Amino acid sequence: MLSRALAAILLLATCGVDPDDGRTVVTFPGSALGEEGRLLQRQIVRFMEENPDIRVDLQRTPDDATQRHQLYVQRLNARSHDPDILQLDVIWTPEFAAAGWLLPLDEAAVDTDEFFPATLEANRWWDGQLFAVPWFVDVGMLYWRTDLLPAAPATMDALTRGARAGMSDSVPRGIVWQGARYEGLVTTFLEYLGGFGGEIMTSDGRVVVDSPQAIRALTFMHAQIHNLGIAPEAVLTWHEEEARFAFQNGTAVMMRNWPYAYALLASDDSRVAGRFSVAPMPAAPGGHPTAALGGNQLAINARSDAPEAALRLIAFLTATDQMLERAELAGQFPTRHALYDDPRLAASLPMPADQARAIIEAATPRPVIPIWTELSEILQIELHRALVGQASPEVALGRAARAMTEVVDEAGIPELQERMRRRGVALR
Amino acid sequence: MSSRTRPLAVGALGLLVAAIAFPFYWAVVASLTPEATLFRAPSLWPREIIFDHYRALFDERAFWLPIRNSLIVAGLTTIFCVAVGSFAAYAIARLRFRGQSAILGFILAVTMFPQISIVSPLYLMLRALGLINTFPGLILPYMTFAMPLTVWLLVGFFRQLPRDLEEAAFMDGASRWQTFVRVMLPLATPGLATTGILTFIYCWNEFLFALSFTLGPERQTVPVAIALFRGQYQVPWGEILAAAVIATAPVAALVLAFQRRIVQGLTAGAVKG
Amino acid sequence: MRRPVAPRQRGIEIEERRLGWLLVAPALVVIAGIALFPLVWTVWESIHLHDLRMPWRGRPFVGLENYVAIAGDRRFWASMGHTVFFTGTSITLELLLGLFLALAMNRSFRGRGLVRAAVLVPWAIPTVVAALLWRFLFDTEAGIANALLVGAGVLEEPIVWFIRAATAWVPVILADVWKTTPFVALLLLAGLQNIDESLYEAASVDGAGPWWQLRYVTLPLLKPAILVVLIFRTLDAFRVFDLIYVLTGGGPGTATEPIALYTFNVLLQNLQFGYGSALSVIVFLVTFGIAVLYIKGLRVDLTGARGR
Repeated sequence: MLSRALAAILLLATCGVDPDDGRTVVTFPGSALGEEGRLLQRQIVRFMEENPDIRVDLQRTPDDATQRHQLYVQRLNARSHDPDILQLDVIWTPEFAAAGWLLPLDEAAVDTDEFFPATLEANRWWDGQLFAVPWFVDVGMLYWRTDLLPAAPATMDALTRGARAGMSDSVPRGIVWQGARYEGLVTTFLEYLGGFGGEIMTSDGRVVVDSPQAIRALTFMHAQIHNLGIAPEAVLTWHEEEARFAFQNGTAVMMRNWPYAYALLASDDSRVAGRFSVAPMPAAPGGHPTAALGGNQLAINARSDAPEAALRLIAFLTATDQMLERAELAGQFPTRHALYDDPRLAASLPMPADQARAIIEAATPRPVIPIWTELSEILQIELHRALVGQASPEVALGRAARAMTEVVDEAGIPELQERMRRRGVALR
Repeated sequence: MSSRTRPLAVGALGLLVAAIAFPFYWAVVASLTPEATLFRAPSLWPREIIFDHYRALFDERAFWLPIRNSLIVAGLTTIFCVAVGSFAAYAIARLRFRGQSAILGFILAVTMFPQISIVSPLYLMLRALGLINTFPGLILPYMTFAMPLTVWLLVGFFRQLPRDLEEAAFMDGASRWQTFVRVMLPLATPGLATTGILTFIYCWNEFLFALSFTLGPERQTVPVAIALFRGQYQVPWGEILAAAVIATAPVAALVLAFQRRIVQGLTAGAVKG
Repeated sequence: MRRPVAPRQRGIEIEERRLGWLLVAPALVVIAGIALFPLVWTVWESIHLHDLRMPWRGRPFVGLENYVAIAGDRRFWASMGHTVFFTGTSITLELLLGLFLALAMNRSFRGRGLVRAAVLVPWAIPTVVAALLWRFLFDTEAGIANALLVGAGVLEEPIVWFIRAATAWVPVILADVWKTTPFVALLLLAGLQNIDESLYEAASVDGAGPWWQLRYVTLPLLKPAILVVLIFRTLDAFRVFDLIYVLTGGGPGTATEPIALYTFNVLLQNLQFGYGSALSVIVFLVTFGIAVLYIKGLRVDLTGARGR
C-alpha cells in the first residue's frame, strides 16, 4: 500500500514537470501562421510572465482541418499525454468527448454565463457536461458590394434581383459561395436551409434533411447556377479562398463567407476595399436569417499530465483582454457576449456590434453528435450530386435522409444518452 | 534508326520534354507572381516579377531547416537500404539457397498495405521506443517501402550482370564474399546509382509518415513544411510553389551528379562479346 | 531439380547457402522488425468491431463480419472500380511514354545529361505540390489548360473540369503520368543499358529493321525491368491518395474516389478502425494477387535459378 502510494506520488511529481527548470510544461498545438501566429506567441509570452511556474510549448500543426483532425486522432488513440491542450473545430468536440479523449471541464472554473449559449451548447456532451471552451466564433455572412447595390438583400427574391441588377460585363457573377464537396458546402447549405425554414435534425434526433423546406433550399441553390445564372458553375469546385479571390478581384456582386475574409478584402491588395459591407444571409417567408456556427474551441487532453496548468492557459487565452486583441489583430469574433457592449470591440468589428451579436445569437450549429462527420459526408455527397445535376434535389435529399437515419439508428445515441442520464454516470 | 523516322522521333522527344517541363516552368513563373494576379486570367509570360515569395521562405519560414531534414532522412535511408539491400539482392540473384522466392515475396508483401492503415500501429510502436520526432523515427518507417524497392531493383541489376568475371574470380580461389565485394559491387555501380536515385526521391516525396511522426520544425521534412504553409482557409500559392522550386534543386543536383555514374560505370566494366 | 554433386561441390553448396542466408538476414530483420507489428495489428483490428467514437461498445471479436459488410458496400465497389480504372490507364500511358523516353535517352546526343535531369524533375516535386499545381493548371478561369484549349479553338468556352466525372479524371491521370513517367523511364533506361550492343549489330547485319529489333531484341530482354516497373507502379497507383485528395477530393460526388481515400475517410474521419483495417487487408490481398499475376504472366524468372 505504502509503496504504491509512493510510486504514485513519484509518478505525479515527475509527470508533466520539465526536468530542466522544474516548471510544468503545457504543450499547445495552436495556429502558428501569419498575424494570428505572431499574436498567439505574444499572448503566450505574457502568460508565462504572469505564471512563471508554467512553460508553454507551442507546437506547429497543420491548420488544414482534415490534417489536424487526423493528427489528433492518431495521438489520442495512442493514449498520448500530449498535446495537453487541443484546438478543436466546433464539430469535433462531441466526437472526441464520446471517444473519452477530453477532460470534462468544471463549469465553475469557466465562467460559463459569460459566453454565448450557442457556442457552449456545441461543446456539451454526456448529459450536458462541458468539454471545451469557445475561443472564437465564426459565422457565415453575406458580403455585398455597396457600389452596386443600394442595400443588402433581406429576402431570397431580393438576392436574385440584386444579383441580376449588379451583374455586368466587368462583374460577371452575382453571388459566389463554397460549393466544393466538403464541410463548407454543408455550412453554406445550412444557411439556405434555415432561410427557408428547415433544419437538419430535430431536437429529438430525427433526420429531416428531406423536408419540403430543405428541397426548396437546395433547388434554389441549384437554380442559382443552372437557371438563374447568378452563380458560376465553378463555385462547385470552390472553397473559401477561391470565392474570396473572386470577390476581391471585383468579379462578384455578393459572396457568402466567414469573417476572416473581411480584413483581407479591406487590405491594399483588394480591388474592392472600401466598396463592400457585410450583412446576415437573407431569408424567405417562413424562414429566418441563418448563419452557420463555426469557430475554434480549446479543450484539455483527458490524459494530460498538467490539467490545472492547461486550464489556466485556457482561461488566460479566453479572457477578455486576449479576445479583444484577437478581434483587433486577427479579426476573429469573441465568444464573450459582454464584449459586444464594449466600445473597444466596436472599433475592430466590420459591422455594428449589435448586428454582430444578433447574428451570433441566431447562429445555427450543426447537430452536436459524435457521428456528425460521418453524417456530414453523406450529406455533402448528395448535395454535391444534386448541384452538379447528377440527381434531382428531391431524390438526393431523400437518399441522404435515409442513409443518415440509418447511421444514427445504428449508433444508438439517443437511447444511450437516456440510459446514461438515468444512471447519472459520465463516461471516461 | 533510318533517316526518315529520325526527325519524327526527335520532334516527338522534343514535344514530350517540353510537355514535361511546362508545368514546372509555369510553377516558376507563378512563384514570381503576386498572388492576387494569379487568380486573374492566366498568361504564359510573367506579368510582373516579385521575389517576395522566395524571400518569405527564408525570412519567415526558415525553409532551409526542412530541406536539411529531408536531405538527412532521405540520404540516410537510401544509403542504408542500398547497402543492406545489395547484400540481400546479391544473395537472391546469384547464390542458391531455398526460400529465395519466398523472401522476395515477403519483402514485397510488406509494402502492399496502404500507408494510412499502418500509420496508427507504427505510431504506437515508435512512441513506445521513444522515437517520435527523431531522425531514426522517420528512417525506420521509411524502410518499409524503401527496402523492398532497393531489393527488387538490385535483384534485377545483379541478375543481368555477366557471370564470366564472377566465375573467373571464383576459379582463382576467391571466396563468395570476396567475389561479391571486389567484383560484383563495382560492376553493379550503375545499378546501385539508379537504385539510389530512385530510393532517394521516393523518400524525399513521402508525406504521411513525416507528418505523423514529427512534431516540430527541427525534424519536419519538406512536404510537411509545405503543408504547414496552409492556413485554415488560405493556400499561399506563391510560397508553396516557390518552396517546390527550391526543394527540387538539391534533388536535381543529385541526379545530375549521379546520372553520369550510370553511364560511366557501364562503359568501364562491361564485358562485351 | 538436384543434380548429383561431387563432394567439393557439396561443400560449396553449403557455403553458398550459409552466405546466402547471412546476406539476406539484415534486410529481413529490419523489415520484419518494423513491419510485422503493424501488419499483425491491422489484421487483428480487422476481425473486431472497433469504433473509436463509441468506446462503450468495447472491441468485440466479430470474425469476418467486417469483410461481409465490405462485400455489400456499394461505395467500396465503386472506389475499387475507380482505382482499377486509374491504375490501368496511368500505367499504360506511363509505360508507353516511359519506354519512348528511355529509348530516346539511351542514344548519345548532346545535352543528354540535361534531358535526363529535366525529365526527373516532375518526380522530385512533392506529390501534394504537384497536385496543387495541376489543380491550378486546370482551374476554370485562372488555369492554362482552358486558356490554351479555348485559344486553339478546341473548346468554345472554358469548362469546369472538376464537376463532371469524365472531365475530372483528365487532370488526375495527366498529373500522375507527368509525375511518375520519369520513374518508369529511368528504370527502363537502366534495363536498356544492360542489353548488349552486339545483339543489335547482329540483327542489323541480318537485315532486321528498327521495329523488328525493338520487338524481338529489346522488349524480351527488357522484361525483367518491365516487371519491376509494373509491380511497383501498380502498388503505388493502387494506393493513390494524396494526388486525388488534393485534386478532386474524390468528387464530384464520389466519382473519382479511390480505395485509399475511402479507407482514409473510414479510418481517420469516421474513426471506424475495425472496418477500415478490413479495407486495408482487402487492398493488400488484391495488390498481392495482381503482383502474382504479373510474375506468372510475364514468366520472368526472378531469382536466376534457371540460368544455371
